Amino acid sequence: MARYIGKRLIYMVITLALIATFTFFLMKILPGSPIASASKLSPEQRAVVEARYGLNEPLPVQYFDYMFGLLKGDLGISINQFKGANVTDLILSRMGPSAQIGFQGMILGTIIGVLLGMVAALRQNTWIDYSSTLIAIIGISIPSFVFATLLQYWLGVKLEWFPVALWKDGFMSSVLPSIALAMFPLATAARFIRTEMIEVLSSDYITLAKAKGSSGFEVAFKHAFRNALIPLVTVLGPMAVGILTGSLVVEQVFAIPGIGEQFVKSIMVNDFSIIMGTTIFFSVFLIVVILIVDILYGIIDPRIRLSGGKN
Amino acid sequence: MKNSKLFWLMSLVLVLSAFLAACGGGSEEGSETPEKEKEDGTSTEAPAGEPDAVQELNLMEGAEIPSMDSAIAEDSVAFNILNNVNEGLFRLNQENVAEPALAEGEPEISEDGLTYTFKLRDANWSNGTPVTAQDFVFSWQRAIDPATGSPYGPYMMAGTIKNATAISEGKMDKAELGIEATDEKTLVVTLERPVPYFMSLMAFGTFYPQNEAFVTEKGDAYASNSDNLLSNGPFVLTNWDGTGLKWSMEKNAEYWDAETVQLEKINVDVVKEPGTAVNLYTSGEKDRAGLSGEYALQYADNEEVIKELEPTLFYLKFNQERNGEKTPLANENIRRAISLAFNKQDLTDVVLANGSLPANYLVPTEFTFDESGADFREVNGDMNEFNAEEAKKFWATGLEELGETEVTLELLGGDSELAKKMDEYLKSQLEENLEGLTVNLKAVPFNVRLELDEAQDYDIQNSGWGPDYQDPMTFIDLFVTGSSHNLMSYSNPEFDKLIEQAKGELAQDLAGRWDAMAKAEKILIEDDAAIAPIYQRGVMSLQKPYVQGIVSHPFGGDYSYKWAFVSGKE
Amino acid sequence: MTQNLEKLPKGSFERITVDANQAERISKPSMSFWQDAWLRLRKNKGAIFSIILFTLIVIMSFVGPMISPYEPNAQTITHANLPPKIPVIENLGILDGHGNLGGKDVDIYDMKNVEVNYWFGTDGLGRDMFSRLWKGTQVSLFIAFVAAAIDMLIGVIYGGVSGYFGGRIDDFMQRIVEILTGIPNLVVVILFILIMDPGIVAIIIALTITGWTGMSRVVRGQVLKYKSQEFVLASRTLGASDSRIIWKHLMPNVLGIVIINTMFTIPSAIFFEAFLSFIGLGLQAPDASLGTLINDGYKLLQFQPHILAFPAILLSLIMISFNLIGDGLRDALDPKMKD
Repeated sequence: MARYIGKRLIYMVITLALIATFTFFLMKILPGSPIASASKLSPEQRAVVEARYGLNEPLPVQYFDYMFGLLKGDLGISINQFKGANVTDLILSRMGPSAQIGFQGMILGTIIGVLLGMVAALRQNTWIDYSSTLIAIIGISIPSFVFATLLQYWLGVKLEWFPVALWKDGFMSSVLPSIALAMFPLATAARFIRTEMIEVLSSDYITLAKAKGSSGFEVAFKHAFRNALIPLVTVLGPMAVGILTGSLVVEQVFAIPGIGEQFVKSIMVNDFSIIMGTTIFFSVFLIVVILIVDILYGIIDPRIRLSGGKN
Repeated sequence: MKNSKLFWLMSLVLVLSAFLAACGGGSEEGSETPEKEKEDGTSTEAPAGEPDAVQELNLMEGAEIPSMDSAIAEDSVAFNILNNVNEGLFRLNQENVAEPALAEGEPEISEDGLTYTFKLRDANWSNGTPVTAQDFVFSWQRAIDPATGSPYGPYMMAGTIKNATAISEGKMDKAELGIEATDEKTLVVTLERPVPYFMSLMAFGTFYPQNEAFVTEKGDAYASNSDNLLSNGPFVLTNWDGTGLKWSMEKNAEYWDAETVQLEKINVDVVKEPGTAVNLYTSGEKDRAGLSGEYALQYADNEEVIKELEPTLFYLKFNQERNGEKTPLANENIRRAISLAFNKQDLTDVVLANGSLPANYLVPTEFTFDESGADFREVNGDMNEFNAEEAKKFWATGLEELGETEVTLELLGGDSELAKKMDEYLKSQLEENLEGLTVNLKAVPFNVRLELDEAQDYDIQNSGWGPDYQDPMTFIDLFVTGSSHNLMSYSNPEFDKLIEQAKGELAQDLAGRWDAMAKAEKILIEDDAAIAPIYQRGVMSLQKPYVQGIVSHPFGGDYSYKWAFVSGKE
Repeated sequence: MTQNLEKLPKGSFERITVDANQAERISKPSMSFWQDAWLRLRKNKGAIFSIILFTLIVIMSFVGPMISPYEPNAQTITHANLPPKIPVIENLGILDGHGNLGGKDVDIYDMKNVEVNYWFGTDGLGRDMFSRLWKGTQVSLFIAFVAAAIDMLIGVIYGGVSGYFGGRIDDFMQRIVEILTGIPNLVVVILFILIMDPGIVAIIIALTITGWTGMSRVVRGQVLKYKSQEFVLASRTLGASDSRIIWKHLMPNVLGIVIINTMFTIPSAIFFEAFLSFIGLGLQAPDASLGTLINDGYKLLQFQPHILAFPAILLSLIMISFNLIGDGLRDALDPKMKD
């Protein structure tokens, strides 16, 4: 196990280095000057500003400077969006709210999704099954910005149950954004659990349990549910990606000081230190999630030999 | 977790039903009947009513603060805050006239109009140290120093303040700048040429003082958050962490005119989604919300709507030479045909619907006035008004001269919702009225547009300009030959000469200067059709009735809260 | 019982003997894999309904712009912001051209002196929403299908090669996939759209640049699973070439899962396109897609819900039908598998 994790960690570092390289050169071919006021500056001033951000150096030098900084956890300084601000600090300061609504959304969505999927599987091909499938699909059919806007208008403005937006009332502020983010994991979990449960329910040991006289409830929870839940770990990765994508929209709609909201802006103003920093941060997050999923899966399901081929 | 499940299910049902219900027809939100339409300038009317005990405003901004350093600032958010937490020699008052602020009374001006001597009033920084003439010398020198990389410093000072151009090019030491502190409270400014609008310049953020000791002590950390800032204006910036989405402005006890200031605190949150801003306003959480794009249309009849006309002008730039080759737009008839071929009234009424005016001019209306108070617009009036028939004639002539039957042009524009919608409309109008014309739209982010502009890599560009000081010149001199904003190979010696005269020999002759600028504007639009004005921007906002005395400004910071107060909220 | 047996007429019976030649005969008609799948799919009401619904949507996306008297991009500025009005249905009190203006329910068509009907209303530039909606659907479906097809092509080839040849090649190819999946696709998509000129091509390329990795993983897994099975080994022993093994033995087995996967790629591509519109990187004006229409509409939610409602409902219908078709196909093609 330790050897496997060690190997994966090395791969992780290589992957990250390649991603950083890839984004770095991609950023360099982006159209538009990274300096917002470029047209107002005289050539002399422009040189000074470029020198400040190291943009005057030859590309390889810039690249190695960046990679070296990366090793030390330094993501450079913002050029436009927050002139001179340290990108690492910026991302760290924006992490809290994003993590909170992301985590809450994930938990909420997964729990409801699992319940929906289970009910659907136990009552396969009845109206319960169809309506739970429908809810799950509608959850991923309505774009998150529409869903978030509807939530805000009805539960915030009209019914006044929750704050309309902003990040100032602690937990209450996080409710609507979490619900908006929960839709994707909900749909994913519901569909996954349904298929998984149907399969488990038709397996021999369930038939045996039924034959021995276990009640339907006991079969569903004690046997089927537990076995269906384990593989859910494998969709954690896609769920995390979904939450990440959703956060861009949801944070902007609810004016939450998170990473996603700030990322959209940095794209608009071409602040490439922030774009790169955030990209790398997102990648680290994703790679770590994938690694954790793989390790968890190995622990939960010992049939899977980590060192062997894992299809 | 049980509760949240219940909540979630209930919410889902509600949302779905709400969504379906909403499809059936309008909701009750628009039910306020239009009782009275507030016209432009409401906010500057004499405020009525007694101030409340609690003097707190809740406002929103559409973007974060990129920098609070007055030498680095270049965006509207920062300039707006700077205008409220700092102060220069002059300040725009409630009538938008520059009046002495840190300067004690009007300055002494030399005969040739080149030397201004300001006396400073007794005023303090928010840390209690006095504001001195040296603070101005320091900040001005800092802004022009190429090492600072200030975007507005050289832009505002070059050609105006003595030696500014040479210093910004690194050919002279910054100490040579035409500003000198003869003692603690006396400031002598030397100009390159007489500048009739110099007082209004002094209200601009770039010319604000900075406390040398404080700036030097903080070093790189200066202005990086609200603790590393000093104020000398009506308010102090607080609770700003440098990259966050919220901040406050609190009354500055050290401000020399603190007794005028009634507001105790202004809480600002950054809300980028216009719909969210409106929802926050509706729910009572915020006292004022800008209505952009689609929202303007929906709330047009709301009685809490305020319409303001801004001196910002949008126009089509016709590029006459692209990649070293002449474009069809080098033909005057083609240009004129295009500039006559779109209905501006429909554009402002239906497409924009935010209080904007159709513009048949370059220098905005209600922006600059002569000695007698007459608007600059009265001289030239409207030029190149929409006329599809005329446009068709010019177009036919133009095509004949070019020897073509079909022309394809690219229209470069911004990527905001409103800009896209406007360009779609222009495309449809031009193609409908000018047979054989195909317009290809190209919507790009702002910095990409700047880059294309600089490379002169476009055919037609939808461009906007807001003033940097209160004088027609801020618009007109954009188009002199070789100007950094011309970038469309327009050149008319007669036009250039008029501008040169207005800046030089006529600088002291106000009437003659006025006349020269008006003539230049006429040449640019009517004679040469070098640009096609589209509209003058209006903005609509929702403002709670209890908010009084917010003053909006044509340039520099957008708003002043110095005179604002809350009345009748409880 | 025994007595009755004797009363039965002897002539009604014929004696048969066990015929060794008939023992192996299959009396049920033989069915190919696909026929079998179709039988199973046919029983799935949801899937069949979805197939019909989706076919209708596709037909409408071509016919819709044609039967509407207005061009999708033609502006009639005097007819801007009209609510929907459909003859006949208007008598029911819905979609009758009434709207809320200043708190009063008025017939906006009367007020603006509009003689014609716009079935789904008009937008802020006076463009017919009906023809725009179908035109937009066409564009969205085009983006989604092309993106899915490219994903499929690259994914199958890449996954197939990686799985079939295995060893070092596989190892190397999988590292590349690992790197690509490590970059959030959202970031890649955004970066590519920024670099390229925005438009349909840019969106398709951006969507496919990382989109194929999922497909390649699935295909690789399948190939790995089948290539060591007896029938493949037998074929190989008999001297079949690599290409014969791939095309004759592996592909038919992989095809089912490829189709299922594609069914789920299409809706997510449509969805991603809508997301891109929200952050301002969608289609270039004046072209419409479901994404840009929804993005324009959600701001007008409170006052002109029709601009959002129609594209949103259509998007949901497409998503639902694709998901149900996908589910149905999975049950039909791959009754025991779930990956």
